[in-house]
Amino acid sequence: MNARIGNDNVVTQALGQIGNCGLFLLQVLAAIPRSLRHGRETVRQLWFTGAMSLTIIMTCGLFVGMVLELQLYHVLSMFGSTSMSGTVVAIATYRELGPVVTALLFAGRAGTAITAEIGLMRATDQIAAMELMAVDPLAYVAAPRFLAGLVAMPLLCCVFCALAVFGGHLVGVSWLGIDNGTFWSNMTATVDVWQDIVSGVIWKSLAFGAVVSLIAVFQGYTAPPTSEGVAYATTRTVVASSIAILALDFVLTAFLM
Amino acid sequence: MNAAASPDDTLIRIRGLTTVLNGKKVFDALDMDIPRGKVTAIMGPSGTGKTTLLKHITGQMRGDAGQILVDGRNVPELNREALYALREKIGYLFQNSALLTDFDVFENVAFPLRQHTKLPEVLIRNLVLTKLQAVGLRGAAQLMPSELSGGMARRVALARAIVFDPMLILYDEPFVGLDPIALNQVLKLIRTLNETLGITSVLVAHELEAIKQVADHIYLIANGKVVAQGDPRTIADDGSPWTRQFFGGEADGPVPFQYPAGDYAEALGFPRGTTA
Repeated sequence: MNARIGNDNVVTQALGQIGNCGLFLLQVLAAIPRSLRHGRETVRQLWFTGAMSLTIIMTCGLFVGMVLELQLYHVLSMFGSTSMSGTVVAIATYRELGPVVTALLFAGRAGTAITAEIGLMRATDQIAAMELMAVDPLAYVAAPRFLAGLVAMPLLCCVFCALAVFGGHLVGVSWLGIDNGTFWSNMTATVDVWQDIVSGVIWKSLAFGAVVSLIAVFQGYTAPPTSEGVAYATTRTVVASSIAILALDFVLTAFLM
Repeated sequence: MNAAASPDDTLIRIRGLTTVLNGKKVFDALDMDIPRGKVTAIMGPSGTGKTTLLKHITGQMRGDAGQILVDGRNVPELNREALYALREKIGYLFQNSALLTDFDVFENVAFPLRQHTKLPEVLIRNLVLTKLQAVGLRGAAQLMPSELSGGMARRVALARAIVFDPMLILYDEPFVGLDPIALNQVLKLIRTLNETLGITSVLVAHELEAIKQVADHIYLIANGKVVAQGDPRTIADDGSPWTRQFFGGEADGPVPFQYPAGDYAEALGFPRGTTA
């Protein structure tokens, strides 16, 4: 997979990258059946990308919920609707903040690590060594990381949302004195499982997980085998993932809502 | 330019290999025969495509023209499955060892066995320890690659390359960075593998004294062609300008020491053609 193109035009380069990334996706998808025999590697990657990201996801989820509740309480108190603040925290988190912030954190924490790891594997001939040992690196390296990201993102998003709601409850009920029953009953009465949970949390985080994992693996796989090349590839993972997440979020919201 | 070998005795037969990289002709209708069960060394000035030739043999690179027959199969025409089946019979020792950094020494050597066989754990353990004992590193089985010296990493990579008892081993600069003790052991190991198991070995190296001890035949390549070949002990005396310059270490000869450049005096700010 050679991502280099001759034209220096930025737009042409970007389009070339997107085209190469699309072709790489087809190769990874074709390698998934072959990667099933490397189940242990997929589980190892799931641990690395998913379980190891839990701390940052939980911490950020908690504080996002807390600050959101704090802001909403003061705005809604002007209209005498503070009892609805928990509901707004839940809907905002499920529909937008949960999937988007989780994906951005996932790109920063796991995506960069995947790119750097694969880039260094290529720079130190580990990928070439696998090919020469008749082990397909697409099936052993790329596909397990792609699958792990795809599975980990929705789970991490669920954890993020749960902690955000808990953070909102902590501030709203325990600190600002909103009635506990009102907080939960308004939330359960308003939140729609299909529109908010399935369309928001599950579909969006699945799509973001696929995009971030693909970008991270692709950038690592095509990084020039130099220290500068790996550094640039890692940066490109964060930049491209962030843009892709926010652009895709708009498209998905327009179609799903 | 063929080694004296009948078709059945030839494991690798290269005919008319032509490769152009970035506008430069790396191989120009190169012909070469690697005899089965022998140790063959490929030597030549830096940048002549020795490692590139190994990449052609293993199918990592494809030339623009020509045939590379390995055990009767034309490598450039093989599909992915056939190429991987062939690679299972080939061991490759990288210049920089290329050990998998996530695994310890034992798991690095066991990696090909775990990927391609369903052998019981006891058998895998015995096979791995046997190979590590052969390279003198059984005691380092639990070390991580980052804890190894360059020479130790090279020996671990060698143990990994031979763990499947391949029909062919390709060594890319196997002697670089080895201390005299390790160098001697690696030389002995290459010879032993060749004599006891009949493994064909192809070495890319620059150390003529080491090559003399282990190789049966030498190819000297330059300018994309085989410019000399023969017995390692006598090739330096064949009288050709190529061997005289290469083995004598002379700056002047058919291989230019300087990379092509403009006028030296002009580059230093003096009138063109000025000499000291």
